[in-house]
Amino acid sequence: MRILLITARLAWRNLWRNHRRTVIMLSAITLGVWAMIAMTAMIRGMVDGMILDSIETLPGHVQIRHPGYSDDPSIEKTVAEPSGALLQALEGPEVVAWTTRVRAVAVVTSERDSRGVSLLGVIPDGERALSFIADDIVEGRFLESPDDPGIVLGRKLVERLETKLGRRVVVMSQDPDNELADRGFRIVGIFKSKLSAYEDGFVFAGQATVQKMLRIPGRVTEIAVLGDNYRDVGGLTGLLGNAVPADAEVLPWFELDKYLGSMLPMMDGFVLVWIVVVFLALSFGLVNTLVMAVFERVREIGLMLALGMKPAMIMSQVIIESLLLLVIGLLIGDLLAWLTMQWLADGLDLSIVADGLDRFGMSTTLVPALQARDVVMANVTVLILGFLASLSPAWRASRYNPIEAITKV
Amino acid sequence: MTAVKCIEVCRTFKQGDHKVIGLDHVSIEFAEGDFVCLSAPSGGGKTTLLNAIGGLDTPDSGEIYVAGKRIDNMSKGDLADMRLHNIGFVFQAYNLIPVLTAQENIEFVMQVQGVPAAERSKLSLDILKEVGLEGLANRRPGKMSGGQQQRVAVARAIVSRPALVLADEPTANLDSHATEQLMELFVELNTRHSTTFVMATHDQRVMNYARRVIKMLDGRIAGDIEQDPV
Amino acid sequence: MSINFRLAWRNLWRQPRRTWLTAGAMIFSNMLIVFMISVQFGMYRTMIDNTLRSFSGHIQVQAPGFNDDQKMRQIVPDVAQLAAQLRTELQLDSVSARAIGFALVSSAERSAPAQVIGVEPETEPLVSSMPGLVSKGSYLVDRNAAEVVIGSVLARNLKVDIGDELTLLGNGPDGSFAAAVPVITGIIDSGIPDIDRALVQVPLGFFQDTFSMGTDGHSVVILAPEFTAIEQYRQRTSAILADRDDLVVLDWDPLNPGLKEALLADFVSAWLMYGVLIVLVAFSVLNTQLMSVLERTKEFGIIMSLGLTPGRLGRLVILEAALMGLLGLVLGVMLGGLVAWYFSIYGFSLPGMENIASRYNVPSRLYADVSLLSLLLGPSIVFVATLMASLYPALRLHWLKPVDAMRAV
Repeated sequence: MRILLITARLAWRNLWRNHRRTVIMLSAITLGVWAMIAMTAMIRGMVDGMILDSIETLPGHVQIRHPGYSDDPSIEKTVAEPSGALLQALEGPEVVAWTTRVRAVAVVTSERDSRGVSLLGVIPDGERALSFIADDIVEGRFLESPDDPGIVLGRKLVERLETKLGRRVVVMSQDPDNELADRGFRIVGIFKSKLSAYEDGFVFAGQATVQKMLRIPGRVTEIAVLGDNYRDVGGLTGLLGNAVPADAEVLPWFELDKYLGSMLPMMDGFVLVWIVVVFLALSFGLVNTLVMAVFERVREIGLMLALGMKPAMIMSQVIIESLLLLVIGLLIGDLLAWLTMQWLADGLDLSIVADGLDRFGMSTTLVPALQARDVVMANVTVLILGFLASLSPAWRASRYNPIEAITKV
Repeated sequence: MTAVKCIEVCRTFKQGDHKVIGLDHVSIEFAEGDFVCLSAPSGGGKTTLLNAIGGLDTPDSGEIYVAGKRIDNMSKGDLADMRLHNIGFVFQAYNLIPVLTAQENIEFVMQVQGVPAAERSKLSLDILKEVGLEGLANRRPGKMSGGQQQRVAVARAIVSRPALVLADEPTANLDSHATEQLMELFVELNTRHSTTFVMATHDQRVMNYARRVIKMLDGRIAGDIEQDPV
Repeated sequence: MSINFRLAWRNLWRQPRRTWLTAGAMIFSNMLIVFMISVQFGMYRTMIDNTLRSFSGHIQVQAPGFNDDQKMRQIVPDVAQLAAQLRTELQLDSVSARAIGFALVSSAERSAPAQVIGVEPETEPLVSSMPGLVSKGSYLVDRNAAEVVIGSVLARNLKVDIGDELTLLGNGPDGSFAAAVPVITGIIDSGIPDIDRALVQVPLGFFQDTFSMGTDGHSVVILAPEFTAIEQYRQRTSAILADRDDLVVLDWDPLNPGLKEALLADFVSAWLMYGVLIVLVAFSVLNTQLMSVLERTKEFGIIMSLGLTPGRLGRLVILEAALMGLLGLVLGVMLGGLVAWYFSIYGFSLPGMENIASRYNVPSRLYADVSLLSLLLGPSIVFVATLMASLYPALRLHWLKPVDAMRAV
């Protein structure tokens, strides 16, 4: 410990002998660390945005459905509206919000045109707590009750059907017996969505109205549940799994949308690769700086060896010097990254390339998500790899022959 | 008591294809409290002998004892410890660690030895006074003259009271006034603390202060003269 | 070889370790960037190619507004005849006429809304990859037969197979009722869920009869022989149709909204990361060259006292950096090119890629695309950054005073 303090002081002073070099290296480390963290936060923000946009637009964190629904999403595969144990579980503290829906493929026909859509029979109050739709009405109103006779369409669909608020449309689908099921609706509301596919592809009506139209009283195709954190739905899945009846299964969001599900692990891998790549680019400069620092200090190192310092002490001095450099760089880099995040807290407007982002299912505002886990990972990675990178120059320094070192001109 | 004893010490170096003889069957003893000058032309073997005694270099054959302990077969770590506790070094130049002040340079060895801070500070200030550098405690080496730097180096070498001080051309970079001052300091320390001094030099002014001058040539002892110092 | 050049080269190797470490940073970054850009280009090319070949083709002739609105009444009159005319005048076989309508597609048990495409069976395989992906049965042959091919997921959802009949119910452009019962002759399995869920193709003549469209259709699709020839064919097509103000010629960008922007967004975000690597390399070079100038202060003092101008010495320092940069460029391009070349032949896949790949219409195995551009784009920027980083050390020489410099240690 005592020796460590002595070496640390020497290392600290040595660091500022060539302040120009130290400042350049510090800038490089700072930039590297900043880039590691800021970029990671951007990527996380992007993925978070994508996943949240997607799962909180409609699916929810967890869904309860008929086991056959995934393979054959038809109106035949329904589950009963929740009751008993399931209802109790849904009303429990782990569940933030839940609602039931009837989802069916349907054709909407106006006087001018017709389109294929997903018809969603919803409970307005439940939907309000769970999905975007109730908040994004641009004209008219949202549904008021499960047996509301009206229908809500997306802005783009209204355009395509050449219809408007207050007009009537006919919705055609089929009941479980494959009989044609149709009904006329008055358009009571028009919604917008960040994702144009939603405006085009979804129409909303009261759940009871739709159940009546499709002749499936008391049955729904999905029960969507929102927990408090989409990253951790294991508990919720397990809890509901114990409560559902035999003819239903519980699926977390990453099972509902395999594509979204594959995003998270993929991004974890990407973040690690990015951190390591930036560090490698840095490491050349770091090793170079240390080699130079050792090289110009050969005589002094020889002197210390002659005075009776153990090689291990010389080695620890170089390593401490390297770690000091890294720690300062990390602190400034972390701080800058944090400041950048504060500055971007309201989100980065990406509307210039918005069309393209839409294609990736992304919204046009990117809010970076700084995760403690990533910051820790970046810092720990830099320290560990930095330690490893400084071993070689440090070891070489400790192997100098004191006589040669001292007599070196 | 003998401070240093060398028996049949040999050391050869390779310089390209040539074999250069550094030490050729050197046997010699220095008594405790001795003030010895190793004198030789360049390549005569004085620095090689000094390095061997200091454990900086290991001889090819022969035995070396310092303070009664055999050192030629010691491990690197033991040698480092031996140097740390028993030997003080003064080199020709680059004696000091540039990032430490005069006082810190002097305290450095004690610090590694584990001497408590208060004692360290007292000892180092005392010794600075003794070498005549009172008031320069907080200067860094870059802000001191060559003579002052060498005196700090001497202070560091003797502060932990080693039995033996080895000095390799300590005056090579000094003018005659500084040389005189440094040598007088050596003599004073030698008599006051009865520290053994072994110096390698080819400076006649330095030799004049020695009580014993050992002349070396081509790695052999060519003469061993007891003299009265000037 | 000039003396300057020789001097610069030898100066580099006075500190071989430092030179290698600095060049190593360049080689590493160059390798990485060359590889990444090659992979990106490869991915973009297959993505564009797959997307365009799967359906939209490179160029389409449509009625104005059809691309946005997709209204049935926005017709191309005498579509087959127009396609034939373009085929002759462009001297290009890959030209095919289409008609696009909307219908409720029903089997005995199920029904689903779908977009129905009328195609010319002889020429459709030349403009689209879909006919080649028939996994069961065969593609359409007769241009008037009551036959249909459908996507595999749709077939599964409708519970139908080859030889079964499908009922199409829809409306013609004039609002007339359209109904037909074609026989399924083929099932297409593209591996892309969105396509397999929606694809319904019938012969053009049969489509025109069913939807009472006479000889009209909605677009003529043209696939240019090369991606690079698209612009030329677009101009020639426009010239041929110069007097037809009821038609517009669109290239692939408006036909696939967002595709170009998506690729651009990807490319730009990748460059943010390359930028970080490049700046890190620049720091490394700056540090090395500055150190190398500082430790040669004395030497430079001597040279300047011999009568050399600081400007010439500065050029020497820049030349040294340029040589080092060239070393990094050559080795980086070679090694990076080697890696990219390997992957251009054998390809690679990432875990979790399958879901993402099928979503964006890219194969789950990625192949790098090695070209002069992909090889030199990144490294040449690294090279320029290297030169810029050596400017400061070179300019410092102007402040050097020969006498002071010679006294420096």
